[in-house]
Amino acid sequence: MDGALKLWVVIAIVGVLNYLSRLSFIAIFARRHVPALLGRAFRYVPAAMLTALVLPMVVAAPPGDAATVSVPKIVAALAAGIVAFFTHSTLKTLTAGMLALWALQFALCGIG
Amino acid sequence: MRRVISNPDFRAGFVDMLPATLALAPFGLVCGVGAAAAGASLAAAIGLSAIVFSGAAQILAVQLLAAGAPLAVIVLTCFVAGLRFLIYSAAMAPYLRPLPPRWQKTLAFLLTDQAFAAAIRRFDAGGDARAAGAHFLGSGFALWAFWQVTNVVGFFAGNLIPAAWSLDFAVPLCFIALVAPHFRTSPTIVAALVAGFGVLALAALPMKLSLIVAGVAGIVAGTLADFAKERWTAR
Repeated sequence: MDGALKLWVVIAIVGVLNYLSRLSFIAIFARRHVPALLGRAFRYVPAAMLTALVLPMVVAAPPGDAATVSVPKIVAALAAGIVAFFTHSTLKTLTAGMLALWALQFALCGIG
Repeated sequence: MRRVISNPDFRAGFVDMLPATLALAPFGLVCGVGAAAAGASLAAAIGLSAIVFSGAAQILAVQLLAAGAPLAVIVLTCFVAGLRFLIYSAAMAPYLRPLPPRWQKTLAFLLTDQAFAAAIRRFDAGGDARAAGAHFLGSGFALWAFWQVTNVVGFFAGNLIPAAWSLDFAVPLCFIALVAPHFRTSPTIVAALVAGFGVLALAALPMKLSLIVAGVAGIVAGTLADFAKERWTAR
């Protein structure tokens, strides 16, 4: 299979699989009651999944190179978290987090 | 169509999502760059971002394709990376039940990390399910539309943003904006702690399995903590 065709096949199959994953339980529970235990578990989906998604972006170092963990990123992420907790605003969180990161990077190693 | 666009909730959803669409721009550029580097045509690059509509899956697909991986490996890897959509779908389902099937099928297509987190907050704020659904449609459409734009720009222009600006940090920041306000009850904090430690401890797992395993562990931990808290307060 040549590369161009292979990419289109990937797009078609992954596109369908992704859509079916997204639709799955929405379609299943459209006509059934959600069991009480699951309903309770669903409350913790955003906190658990988003934390698992975001943490590696903030603290993950390249494999086998723990020394390059970015302290400014961790501190800036904490500052952004505090702003988000109190303001509920994406824009304010973004502003606070980026300004904190730039300030720390500048303070630690200058512009270069 | 015109009725949807003039719907105030649709518009509010679109506008509310604009800061996040900006924050995701560096990620979209990277995906476009990846498609170009793998030798994709413009049509295929757009097909990838418009149909698959998941940054993680897009990056994995073009990287594996460029590395000459077999079709089955590419498909399986992208599917596993998208397993979290099953969980989002389950958590979203009770909120979408009152909506007509056509709405459910459309909103399912727009169910991304960002849209999910924003929609849960909007539905939890209460009010009419249709209004919240229209808000979801607006925010999901904003994400989808800007995602296509940034992918195409990345495809043609390459990585416009100097790495020294660290603008890729905006991606985790916009998730922090959505997750931090949840940390108000002890079970939620337990869920986040278990998921957080889990994802770092399991980082070596292949196919980004760490995300789904740690996420499910966090959800279970949060639910158990919820039961424990209920017992404690009932006493």
